[in-house]
Amino acid sequence: MLFAPVNLELKPRQLALLSGANGTGKTTLMEAIAGIRLLSAGQVQFSGNNSHSWQHHSHYLGHKLGNNGALTCAENLAFVAHINGLDVTEHDLSALLASAGLAGYDFQQASDLSAGQKKRLAVCRLLLLNKTFWLLDEPFVNLDHAGCDWLYQLISAHLDQGGAVLITAHDQQKITDLAHHHITLEPA
Amino acid sequence: MRFWTLLRRDVLVAWRKKSGLYQPLVFQLLVVTMFPLGLGAGAQTLAKISPAVVWILALLSTLITFEHLFKDDYEDGSMDLYYLSDMSLPMAVLAKAMAHWITTGIPVILFAPIIGMLLHLPNQSFGILLLSLALATPIFSLLGAVGSALTMNLRNGGMLISVLVLPLMSPVLIFGAGAVLESTLGNSAHSHLLMLLGCLVLAISLAPVTTAAAIRINLE
Repeated sequence: MLFAPVNLELKPRQLALLSGANGTGKTTLMEAIAGIRLLSAGQVQFSGNNSHSWQHHSHYLGHKLGNNGALTCAENLAFVAHINGLDVTEHDLSALLASAGLAGYDFQQASDLSAGQKKRLAVCRLLLLNKTFWLLDEPFVNLDHAGCDWLYQLISAHLDQGGAVLITAHDQQKITDLAHHHITLEPA
Repeated sequence: MRFWTLLRRDVLVAWRKKSGLYQPLVFQLLVVTMFPLGLGAGAQTLAKISPAVVWILALLSTLITFEHLFKDDYEDGSMDLYYLSDMSLPMAVLAKAMAHWITTGIPVILFAPIIGMLLHLPNQSFGILLLSLALATPIFSLLGAVGSALTMNLRNGGMLISVLVLPLMSPVLIFGAGAVLESTLGNSAHSHLLMLLGCLVLAISLAPVTTAAAIRINLE
């Protein structure tokens, strides 16, 4: 067992901040909740049902950003939209990229972007897919001040619209202030 | 629609990266030039071994392309995107295997007559060579998907893929090279080709499910 048992009930409009020292298993827990890692014990329930549709309602943004370097920014977003059954126009994607500070980067390959821009591109997916539940693992890493403010505003707007967020973040006072739940992982 | 989205993306990525497209062909060309040098033999000896050599080259040159079939998606995180989407995982595997076949298998098929010519493969065998490779290269891609998914989280999985996948490919080699050999002797290659077709049906029905299970094991 990696960490001591934790329990969390997250309601709409709530944000939970997950903290713990390096190596206590924050990312592992995030991945397990997202569904890309097997839970050795415990369960994730959504609206009282332990249903498959859990993944359908959540989006996970982790350390692996999910951008394919050989594809352009617009192609990366279009791919994600299409495999999730969404129809998007080039114009939608262009507007989305512009809102993320990536105006004019539509046809730029993702491998040419800076680390911060890659993160912005990955954050665009949150807006594109518009899932209820956001799982954000260190989303502020690599973002500049303006980027951090932008992401903070996205998160707080998402909460206002009835979404819920589980987040790990270091030194983000604004996020700490926003949090309804604080979970600290302790070594088992 | 999701199937085609993933297929189109993989073909596009392979096209942009280029290396996967020409690596097998360069490999084949380099190795085939070694044969006359090493054998020091005339056209007759080369013609005799040509069915086996063309086939082994097609197989080995495909083998070197398997490592990145799933590894790249696993490492950059895009696998999570289709793994967590509503898309069925075996379907995703089939799309990726088909994209691999389009970008690796088809060039190998088209290149085989050139290799055959360099080895003095008898004229009457070219048709059977193309037909046997057309049936076999999709099997390569499907079996490669299994090996690639099993090793996607290993740093140096390339060698392990060969060890895992080559034994599974040996029946394909036997029937494929056998078909071409029969045709050089003027015999019918019918039964060999039918066996290849059987292998293809088996691979299409089993490999996507097996690969999906391998991905689940490695992710979870």
